[in-house]
Amino acid sequence: MSQVFSPSRRALLLGAAGILAAPGLSRAQAAPVKLGILQPVTGALAQDGEYGRLGAELAINEINSTGGIKALGGAQIQMVFGDARSTPEGGTAEVERMNSEGVVAVVGGFASPICLAASQAAARYDLPYIVDVGVADAIVTRGLRNTFRFSPGFGSVTRAALDNLATLNNNAGRPARTVVVVHEDGLFGSGMAQLMQRELPSRGFEVVETISHPTPARDMSNIALRIRSLNPDLIIPSSYYAEFVLLARTLQQRRIRPKGIYCVLNGAASNFRFVREFPDAANLVMDVNHWADPRKPKTAELRRAVEAQNRFWLYNTPINYSAVMLVADALERAGKADRTAVTEALTKTDGSFTRHIMPYGPTRFENGQNMAAQAVNTQVQNNDIKVIFPTDFADAQPVFPWPA
Amino acid sequence: MTARDLLPIAVFAAVAALLPVFVTSGTWLNFAVFTLIVTLAAQGWNILGGYGGQYSFGHAAFFGTAAYATALLQVRFGVNPYLAFALGVMAAGLVGWIIGLLSFRSGLRGSYFALVTLAFAEVFRVLANASAFTGGAAGILIPLDVRPGNFQFASRAIFYWVALALVVAALLITRTLERARLGAHLVAVRENEDAARALGVDALAVKLSAIALSAAITGAAGALYAQYFLYLDSNIAYGTWISVEALLGPIVGGAGTAFGPVIGGILLHSLGELARKLLGSVPGLDLALFGVLLILVVRFPPRDIPGLLRRRARR
Repeated sequence: MSQVFSPSRRALLLGAAGILAAPGLSRAQAAPVKLGILQPVTGALAQDGEYGRLGAELAINEINSTGGIKALGGAQIQMVFGDARSTPEGGTAEVERMNSEGVVAVVGGFASPICLAASQAAARYDLPYIVDVGVADAIVTRGLRNTFRFSPGFGSVTRAALDNLATLNNNAGRPARTVVVVHEDGLFGSGMAQLMQRELPSRGFEVVETISHPTPARDMSNIALRIRSLNPDLIIPSSYYAEFVLLARTLQQRRIRPKGIYCVLNGAASNFRFVREFPDAANLVMDVNHWADPRKPKTAELRRAVEAQNRFWLYNTPINYSAVMLVADALERAGKADRTAVTEALTKTDGSFTRHIMPYGPTRFENGQNMAAQAVNTQVQNNDIKVIFPTDFADAQPVFPWPA
Repeated sequence: MTARDLLPIAVFAAVAALLPVFVTSGTWLNFAVFTLIVTLAAQGWNILGGYGGQYSFGHAAFFGTAAYATALLQVRFGVNPYLAFALGVMAAGLVGWIIGLLSFRSGLRGSYFALVTLAFAEVFRVLANASAFTGGAAGILIPLDVRPGNFQFASRAIFYWVALALVVAALLITRTLERARLGAHLVAVRENEDAARALGVDALAVKLSAIALSAAITGAAGALYAQYFLYLDSNIAYGTWISVEALLGPIVGGAGTAFGPVIGGILLHSLGELARKLLGSVPGLDLALFGVLLILVVRFPPRDIPGLLRRRARR
């Protein structure tokens, strides 16, 4: 075979030089578009970061294998990955590097502090920044023109959580009246606990106690005993993964069975790792969280691809997949790999953007926030995580109150 | 102070100040600014830990106090950022003095002192995390408003020079301290506190001055951090990371020498960055390499780089 076509080294060099010297020709091949993917893949948030990166990779592979960015002559997307190291300054440093490598936009961040710092660093260069998960409301209220969030913020998630809880309870004939809030003493937990105490009474619930615990916490026995003595109808936990798993297992071991466990933005309740490892403790736990739209065929396809890699199906993956698709959509409409044009196009995103797999209505950005973004209620049923609310997107009926 | 004392500082300042003229990449400058901020924090630690022999594990308390004070004064009270910076540094110094008064008066030394400082930093972290005034766990954000009058610069180079100026100022302070009576007393207390007291050194007063100065310098690093990254939460401001960073630089570079923290800080961060460049494709591997290097440096005496050079020179 080698005799059929074997150019001399000189001919090859000449050819290479010719390609370099003829930019007009090489442009016909469409220069790849660089896209920054920022995730914390070392440090405390490494698990989330890995799943976020996976989502971005899947989206980029899909775009590239289906003809690239058509408006740019089929340009391929080239990922410039940055490890945010679970710290804001780590994120900032990576945005600086991505900027020097000439990315057209940055997607990711995961944690709110990283998103806040990294988007600010990107703003210096008018570099579009698409937040994946970070829920802090401050992210989109700073007036940064470059910052977009496709997923919902804290305010919108908690509002939905409270309203849906009231609806759920009313539909079931108001079985739950008393509530115990268990929360970690950090960002999510404390804020959430205050909100619950303020908002739940007007929705017909009585908060009998709020119990806080540090992160990490290695023993939940005292909290479980306290819950047993208070005997609430509903437990609302707001903790990270390990602590909630511990709480759920402790409750199960001590046979403490309320009428429901209703989580908000919980680290574990919408996590297949928890469902697989502790199916009994996880059974029927409800959560309000980011989740992919179960009715879209693409969701099932992506989930199979993820599970084929022996990985769990976490929300980070579909969110990052969708955020990368959002950039691709903006590139198509901008018609050029130019930061200002992409920012402009992102601002004008509308319902015609359908390549995402989140359970959101027609996309509409207001001050960088996707107003159609919403969290959904999930419940662990038969070792699967089902969407039970809102009904438009649901693939299962809620089981509430829990059968005795 | 003689010209011989000042010459190395002047050379360092001149060489470092010229850097942004040649290196304009934002990535690089960002790295340099962060390194200088951490170096400044380490210089603060060096006054108390290096010269005074009082090993603090909780310099985060000073870093965080100044950072929060700077941010809160601007955001909540509309104070001019430069004034807020100065007040933040003073607040850190005051907190240092108070912590010093409480622990030194009780005669805490060595590991007991280290543990108490660690505890103070943790208490501050928990308080900042819980209080609504500091923004709670959501942290506090200084609004992005890039104006020189606002202590925010469009160019990272200017920030670099500001950070460098502070590091050089800290070098000068350290050098002055070395040559001053206070410095001599401090070293005497480090070497043998009882002997120093027997010779008439007011050990408490000396240690209090040292901790206040030390806290103020580390505080300047915290205030600069707030002004540069514009975002703080309790884990950034009062987290153990900065306490560790503050003592690592001097220990590697040479505790109790003016240039120790500077050498250590720059070396450690450059090593970290280099490891990252070499092994960045596998997340975490560079951190492992960095850890191994650190173990080697600490394991094999002489513990610090200048000691190593001196030993080489003697051969």
